[in-house]
Amino acid sequence: MAVASYLRRFPSVLMAWRNLGRNRARTALAMLGIVIGVMAIVSLGMTGVALEQQATANLGNLANEVSVSPGEDIETDGITDDQVETIRDIAPATTVIPQKSNATELTARNGAEANVQVTGVTNPAPLYDIATGDEPTRLQTGALITESTAEQLGLQLGDPVEYGGQIYRIRGFIAAESGFGPSGGGELVLPESALNEQEYYNSVTVITEDGETSTATANAIEAEFNDADEEILTATSFASVQEDISSFTNTLELALLGIGSISLFVASVAILNVMLMSTIERRGEIGVLRAVGVRRGEVLRMILTEAAFLGGVGGLIGSAGSLVVGLALFHVLTGEATLALEWSSSRYLLYGMLFALVASILSGIYPAWTAANESPVDALRG
Amino acid sequence: MSVIQLKDVTKRYDTEAEIIEALKAVDFRADRGEMVVVTGPSGSGKSTMLNMIGLLDSPTEGTIHLDGRNVTNFSEDERTEERRSQLGFVFQDFHLLPMLTAAENVELPSMWDTDVDRRDRAVDLLRRVGLGDRLSHTPDELSGGQQQRVAIARSLINEPDILLADEPTGNLDQETGETVLDEITRLKNEENIAVVAITHDEQLVGYADRVVRLVDGVVQ
Repeated sequence: MAVASYLRRFPSVLMAWRNLGRNRARTALAMLGIVIGVMAIVSLGMTGVALEQQATANLGNLANEVSVSPGEDIETDGITDDQVETIRDIAPATTVIPQKSNATELTARNGAEANVQVTGVTNPAPLYDIATGDEPTRLQTGALITESTAEQLGLQLGDPVEYGGQIYRIRGFIAAESGFGPSGGGELVLPESALNEQEYYNSVTVITEDGETSTATANAIEAEFNDADEEILTATSFASVQEDISSFTNTLELALLGIGSISLFVASVAILNVMLMSTIERRGEIGVLRAVGVRRGEVLRMILTEAAFLGGVGGLIGSAGSLVVGLALFHVLTGEATLALEWSSSRYLLYGMLFALVASILSGIYPAWTAANESPVDALRG
Repeated sequence: MSVIQLKDVTKRYDTEAEIIEALKAVDFRADRGEMVVVTGPSGSGKSTMLNMIGLLDSPTEGTIHLDGRNVTNFSEDERTEERRSQLGFVFQDFHLLPMLTAAENVELPSMWDTDVDRRDRAVDLLRRVGLGDRLSHTPDELSGGQQQRVAIARSLINEPDILLADEPTGNLDQETGETVLDEITRLKNEENIAVVAITHDEQLVGYADRVVRLVDGVVQ
């Protein structure tokens, strides 16, 4: 009774509420259709976002790195000091890190062996995530080694590693998975001087501010060194990879949303059917309403409110259900359930709600219009 | 002055097979405080005439005056406004809305006028027809006679000038019919309204101030 006395100020809502209450099973089923439609749209939308976030997270901070390697037509056996200097000139605001690389086999005292890639670099800090130990920006002595390799060989911080007849003490462990690195095999990072017998650099990594700068830098480097038929250096920006991934996930998101929309479309056809049936059943009643002086617009509003009720309540329940699904989805895909609450994914809850409301009101228009415009004499005759 | 007046009203229906003349040059009037009963066999045009008086339909020829105003050519929306403010309807099948309480059914015609609270008048009307203790009952919890009394209360909620009753006792037994007619007569006098009832029930004729007989669309 309390609800009714409050609703008395909104007669269309009161009438809609009472009408929907007359056939609860039908109302519930029509609403269920909307709930399923909204959950389909929202869950699929959120899946797209979660996949994109997962893919981007796997790329790590590679997006702002440009990797420069010797091209096909380079005359030397690698990248020269002069070329490194030129790169520094082209991209002054960046960190340019030249690297020499080789491969070796490490043997532990207990006889365990491991093949590792050896990288000689002066400034390893921006390139590697250090799990434990130092994170040197000037590596003059000592070594860094991949955590898993260290475990395999039973190496502790401070233990010696031999390379090229020299002993290096381990200063830090590199976290297992940082970016796309050669995580399968281990990596041993030494001072550049350790690889002095190699005259040239095998690669140069340029760390830029963001993805945009990295694409521009890669282009500038290629433009400087190469021309139409000569490739001296190859510069690869991972930003374009990230762009590709996000363009792919955007397409995927749209496709998923399209599939979701079909179910909402089906649900709104169900609402159209329910509203049409209930207005035909109530033809006489609507005739009475019109006879006693209820205006056409008021009948129209009453029936549209019924449709909006179905859509609104169905949308709310659907969104609530989708939120649960979304949290679970993000937990599984990204390991962090609360990411589902961020606008990029939680906006689908709002979209789902709005779609449900709009779709059901659109479905209500035809039945409402027909009912409101019927001549009261015909309607009363039954 | 008559509160409702039909002058020379003819109503024709074009069906594919034939043209039916339901009313032929009918003159009719009703005054305040008067109960006019229109009788006649089925198919004589009684319902068509009630639809004319009730501004539910418009005539093919002739004019309709409500309170001295010519309302013949009013649009559907204008007629709705007149019905809302000037007319009350009582139907043979009561036509209460099943999901509304008695009080809400009485308020129904003015429910959308949110600026005036009709709850007091609805309660007052229900008391006057002897249903003061049935305000929150829904129609299925009321007897036929009680439902018709709710319908009478509904017809008076907007303080109309004319009450139109279509076979008001048609679905009631003799005794219940009498109490309903007593109710209508009493309210007619209290509210000083015109009552126009159509029936082929002779019981109603006894309550009439005036009887109009309609045969084949012609007033006898």
